[in-house]
Amino acid sequence: MSQPSPPLPPPCTDPAFAADPTVDVREVSVWFGAKVALSELSCSFGAGVTGLLGPNGAGKTTLMRAVVGLTGVNQGAITVEGLNPRHDRSVHRAMAIVPEDEAVPAGLTARQFVRYVADLHRVTDRQAPDQALDEVGMLDAADRHVAGFSKGMRQRTKIAAALVKNPRVLVLDEPLNGADPVQRVHLIDLFKRLGDQGRTVIVSSHVLNEVERMADRVIVLMHGRLAAAGDRRAIRDAMDDRPRHVFVRSDDDRGLAAALLGLESVAGVTIDSIRKGLVIQTLQARDVATALPRLARSSSVRLLEVRALDDSLESLFRELVR
Amino acid sequence: MVDAGPLLRLTGLTKRYPAVTALDGLTLEVPRGRVGLIGANGAGKTTMFRMLLGLTQPSEGHIEVCGLDVAKDPIGVRSRLGYMPEHDCLPLDQTAADVVSTFGELSGLPARAARQRASDILDLVGLDEARFRPIGGFSTGMRQRAKLAQALVGGPELVLLDEPTAGLDPLGREEMLALVARLGTFGISVLMATHLLDDVQQVCDHVVMIDGGRLVVAGATQSLLEGTGTLTVEVGPRGTELVDALARIGLSASSVDGTVEIQTNGDDHFDVVRDTVADLGLPLYRLSTRLTSLDEVFLRHAGTAP
Amino acid sequence: MSVVDAGNSGGAVYDRGYRPYEGRRGRRGAATLALVKASIRRALGIRRTWRQKVAPFLLLGVVTIPAIVNVGIGYVTRDSPADGFEILTYRDYVGVSSALLLFVAVVAPDVMCPDRRQRVLPLMFARPMTGTDYVVAKVGAIFSILFAFSFLPQVVLFLGNMLVSDAAIDYFTGHLDVLWKVPLAIVVLAVYYAVIGVAVAALTDRRVIAGASIIGLFLVTSITSGIVVGNFESGGGSAAAVVNVLALPIYLRDIIFLGHIDPDSPLGGVANGGLLACGVYATVLVAASASLLARYRWVER
Repeated sequence: MSQPSPPLPPPCTDPAFAADPTVDVREVSVWFGAKVALSELSCSFGAGVTGLLGPNGAGKTTLMRAVVGLTGVNQGAITVEGLNPRHDRSVHRAMAIVPEDEAVPAGLTARQFVRYVADLHRVTDRQAPDQALDEVGMLDAADRHVAGFSKGMRQRTKIAAALVKNPRVLVLDEPLNGADPVQRVHLIDLFKRLGDQGRTVIVSSHVLNEVERMADRVIVLMHGRLAAAGDRRAIRDAMDDRPRHVFVRSDDDRGLAAALLGLESVAGVTIDSIRKGLVIQTLQARDVATALPRLARSSSVRLLEVRALDDSLESLFRELVR
Repeated sequence: MVDAGPLLRLTGLTKRYPAVTALDGLTLEVPRGRVGLIGANGAGKTTMFRMLLGLTQPSEGHIEVCGLDVAKDPIGVRSRLGYMPEHDCLPLDQTAADVVSTFGELSGLPARAARQRASDILDLVGLDEARFRPIGGFSTGMRQRAKLAQALVGGPELVLLDEPTAGLDPLGREEMLALVARLGTFGISVLMATHLLDDVQQVCDHVVMIDGGRLVVAGATQSLLEGTGTLTVEVGPRGTELVDALARIGLSASSVDGTVEIQTNGDDHFDVVRDTVADLGLPLYRLSTRLTSLDEVFLRHAGTAP
Repeated sequence: MSVVDAGNSGGAVYDRGYRPYEGRRGRRGAATLALVKASIRRALGIRRTWRQKVAPFLLLGVVTIPAIVNVGIGYVTRDSPADGFEILTYRDYVGVSSALLLFVAVVAPDVMCPDRRQRVLPLMFARPMTGTDYVVAKVGAIFSILFAFSFLPQVVLFLGNMLVSDAAIDYFTGHLDVLWKVPLAIVVLAVYYAVIGVAVAALTDRRVIAGASIIGLFLVTSITSGIVVGNFESGGGSAAAVVNVLALPIYLRDIIFLGHIDPDSPLGGVANGGLLACGVYATVLVAASASLLARYRWVER
């Protein structure tokens, strides 16, 4: 059925591959009829939190399901701790997935649901359900019926159900969906902690500035292929043919703009009337940053605000998609 | 005749349920424009929308929407509102044009006007080409836009948006937020309920934050982000040199996580810092006095409410 | 609309942005009427695929066939000695055919259930209408369709009979009472089935369940009543006949056409049968309406 694993991955310099991988994806293709969901994808995941990003339909959900063995692969191989997740029962116990859709059985309270899942997976620790509920902040509401929960509370209950089996690999599809800002902060901290504990946590989310806070690495998929991987700043640096954008607010925008245009490292300056400042385009961010205070001083311009517009995953994403 | 008064006026608004108090003594005035509503810890957001639509009576207090008292004239209020629910809510077997024009008629427009407006609004939200296709075949982004079109077709003064970017990927989200931003320029006010502070920061002029039914903070987005009294500077790995140089001039500064924070109490500190950085030949990557995100505002204020 | 003038002759750019609506705007009445029209369109498959039009119009055809047949026979036999021969009386024709029952079971759920299942109802909240308006509009829509579909065949029958009779004008003047009895009877019928059909359909969000429930309700009560009443002779009916929810309007129809309960009917011979039938009819209508209004009470205290 599944082909034998190819030899060990190349040295850890390729950011698509984690240093000490738990989950290894090798030349994987998955298709459903005529639709190709994943196309010869190779990457790996290790301990810590890895963000999985991409537009809708890029193959994120398919990849997540394939990693935990819910879907088979048509070509290539996925191994989790060296075993095939589709067939090996023993590795299932070490994995948990929290999918996006709402399927939680009606008529149960949160505690009952988590206990049910614990029994299903033969978790011996009697404290585990309550501990899991506590981790996600649902201990107070544990005896309320799931049917009456808001979306955010249902999500957290599902996460508790995944945590109760103490998984070494945890896959989460849009886990913060529906959570209010306070809950989001708690959950982000939770995921970071889980990653620090050495678990392999794979999180997919559209809210990029939260992925920034949780994930050490990101893997970006597009059209079923790997589009980018690694640390987001490093990815941005790797796109060195695309200009950086720096926003500057001062007390004399035009004067400063004129001075900046004299610099060779400046590719262009835009006057942004909405943000009320200048946007500098440059391929050499460091040179511009060093020249800026000097130029401002010699032109007697007071600098009020300076910030890079591309530091976020949002801008990275935008550039990738262009 | 558009009332120039505030968009919303809440006076002591309270709603008690047996299990929980959803809203507790809310008093505020919200000006016209684009307003973000952020709720935490409780049913505040849903309850608020229901009250604006006149579907739930308050236990205590009053609401005025666009100058009308909701308790006295719920129908009048509803005819000035548009509503975009969070969940899927459009009939899947009808075309977008048919659905939007039907809802225009349901808002009281004559049939011909409804059809014309439906066409215009669908063009505005970018569904011009897909107008005559059944909604069942639309992607998530297209469905969200059709939902928005349905809310706009009646010519509302205020549109209630419930998590308009839910389920959208980053590109879809940007497009939706751009649309919402444009609504402000058309003279349509927006009350956007969302959990994503980032969305609010991008699009809303005004923010209302509720935690556990109580008002946490409300104000213009820009003013909430301003003035921490601290100048934050990033100059790369040689930050400590800057700290020392500033200390020699008499400015109190410290290095926190690679960022230099300088206590200020005057505008001329900007120039001093600029000059010091220039003298040291350090790259000025970041300079700011503001809180950079509503997340920080929220964290400062929230958690104080129960 | 903003215009940017190019300064020279003949160039201008018009802003295609949003235009606020300044025209006429109706309130509750207009919105409710619009909902009636939209529901009728939905039920009859107008503005949807032809597949959605099949069921209603097929049923219309089925229901009209007896009229056509009757007229045809009348025409064919017009010169024969069997004068005044009518297979079908107007009274009979205001009847409960399985086609009509099927029609209600198809159309009422189609008008009620998708709004609930596809969660369209919240969109009605930001419209100038109340829950009561919504209910009234839906019942009104089904009533209109039922009335039209029952009335059209009658018109066909009447006109046909008129045309094949010896003297059309005489036929007309000789059957003036039909002109008010038929519409009234049909109204009694249509309102009844509309309210019941909508009330049952409102209880669920699945069309199939709603349709099956409607059919089930009618069949079960009909069969039960038949069993309880048992075999009877003319004038020997039983009060239990009113349990037959399906056929209740028939008794009112008889009262309209004959002035009293038909002795041959299961209710024949029952003392104050007419009063009983009217009473039960009113009770059923009130109960169904109350159930509907309760289900669509949108405003919570």
